[in-house]
Amino acid sequence: MSIEVKNVSKSFGAYRALKNVSLTVQGGELLALLGPSGSGKTTLLRIIAGLDHPDEGQVLIDGEDLSKQALRDRRVGFVFQHYSLFRNMSVFDNVAFGLRVRPRKQRPGDGEIKRRVDELLGLVQLDQLAARYPAQLSGGQRQRVALARALAIEPKVLLLDEPFGALDARVRKDLRRWMRKLHEEINVTSVFVTHDQEEALELADRIAIMNAAQIEQVASPSEAYDRPATEFVSEFLGFANRMPCKVVEGVAQIGDFVLAVDLGAYTGDAVAYIRPYEIALKKLNGEDATARATVDSIVALGPNARVDLDYGGHRLEALIDREELAALGLAAGDICAIGFSRAHIFKTA
Amino acid sequence: MSAANAPPFEANTEMRRDRPALRDPRWARWAIFIFGIGFLTLFVVLPVVTVGIEAFRKGVPAYLDALSQPDTISAIDMTLSVAAIAVPLNCIFGVAAAWALGKFDFRGKTVVMSLIDLPFSVSPVISGMVFLLLFGLQGWFGGWLRDHHLKIVFALPGLVLATMFVTLPFVARELIPLMQEQGTDEEEAARMLGAGGWRIFFSITLPNIKWALLYGVLLCNARAMGEFGAVSVVSGHIRGLTNTLPLQVDILYNEYNMVAAFSVASLLAGLALVTLIVKSFLEWRYADQLALTRR
Repeated sequence: MSIEVKNVSKSFGAYRALKNVSLTVQGGELLALLGPSGSGKTTLLRIIAGLDHPDEGQVLIDGEDLSKQALRDRRVGFVFQHYSLFRNMSVFDNVAFGLRVRPRKQRPGDGEIKRRVDELLGLVQLDQLAARYPAQLSGGQRQRVALARALAIEPKVLLLDEPFGALDARVRKDLRRWMRKLHEEINVTSVFVTHDQEEALELADRIAIMNAAQIEQVASPSEAYDRPATEFVSEFLGFANRMPCKVVEGVAQIGDFVLAVDLGAYTGDAVAYIRPYEIALKKLNGEDATARATVDSIVALGPNARVDLDYGGHRLEALIDREELAALGLAAGDICAIGFSRAHIFKTA
Repeated sequence: MSAANAPPFEANTEMRRDRPALRDPRWARWAIFIFGIGFLTLFVVLPVVTVGIEAFRKGVPAYLDALSQPDTISAIDMTLSVAAIAVPLNCIFGVAAAWALGKFDFRGKTVVMSLIDLPFSVSPVISGMVFLLLFGLQGWFGGWLRDHHLKIVFALPGLVLATMFVTLPFVARELIPLMQEQGTDEEEAARMLGAGGWRIFFSITLPNIKWALLYGVLLCNARAMGEFGAVSVVSGHIRGLTNTLPLQVDILYNEYNMVAAFSVASLLAGLALVTLIVKSFLEWRYADQLALTRR
């Protein structure tokens, strides 16, 4: 079932949390709301959930405006950042809660509830822990209980607020992979909030990148990475070297380089973003090389090496294969030739 | 180191090695220990023991005789009646107030908070006087009440009102910090799962505060039964009619009837003891549950 956010604005006092935000989530999709803290992503999620009300605009779930409906009829599954498990209930009772609070007519019988809860606990691999209390579980286990509890009401959409935020790195990685598999299995339209770009890139079908109460770009992970729509996106997604440049009628001059850019007939100042692996290093042979940079330092990072360069006063980071580096025989203090295989260029406003 | 001269609160050696803050000289530890125990003995143990000794000075028959006087029986009845009405009402108010103050933000919250604390800072005698001023014969509503044949002051309703005023903060004060700390996360989660307001309250909010609520009620009850000042003003000391246990003790004492006074007093002291024992027992019995729900 699809989610449609239409021109939603929200303020808390003088603080504008969302400015005219629109977003469409397709049925069965797993979408990430990615952004730095304070960008409005949790507010947007809470508005989709119906926990907060927008000042303007509306949210349609499966084409229906749910703001008039009681929360119990909306069937929106929500996994809270700190899980918010019911501490006075066992794992089983936590998961069963959503079924037990249904009006008498829609409530399944005890046997049916038990069957459904056991099935869900099996799905999140916690069947052994049904009798435990939340305080007796690890962070990862609590997270999965929260997920099972949200799924128990057979939600039309599943919303997750920083689902892995409170976990340590190792567990986070495992859970991420597990969650992707689970999504493929149950295929519920899902939106999750995260500030961790790696998480968004790995898990999501599409990413909505938020900044300062607005959505900057909605795209698939690879598209957002390869073709950032705005300066913010290119800076936020992965690291990119920033270099001021000049554009004259669609041609950018970045240091010694000239690149054709898609800015129409724009002429004026611009800024170029170059990813570390988009910088090629070459041995200086003869004097024909147009662009020269000094190697400041070299740091080994697993199979790669980060080479810090001084290029006409600009600090650049390049990332190259360590074997390749060895073949070049570069060391700190050397001068080498550099080339940009690609750059993203934005007008400076 | 011999066990005989080891201070009773000797930290284990490993702990002391790791924590220089615990490496106080032995005389200092002893001094603090003796001061603490001495203070407690002088101000708590001794008075309670005295009550017991004085009550039984003339033997068990005299003790039982003092307790079976009609006036005393009536005072017991009065005290129980007052507590039976005041404590449940205050319990409901306390939960409601703590719920509103702990879970919601609204204008004037701090004002309400200070109002709840007011009975703690006002002398009970004054609060008794206020009720006299309001509902006494010469009071604001006195004429109206007389015309409608309603008795508040010098009767059970006045005693209940005065007691409720004095014990108002007990339950609320116990619950507010806890409810603030617990926040509204679980309630929100329950709401998302489709639970209605009452359902959320009875299956999420209430179970999470039940222990604090129990302590609050125990304290509130102990104070309600022991209240003297406010009750003294509104009761009018009508023997066998509007006297509560503390007032009865006062009357008997003023009549130099020491054995009877201390016998009745022993009931109140016993109540305090029972409260303490019940609290400790529950804490021991449900220690595991307590640990679980505290997070």
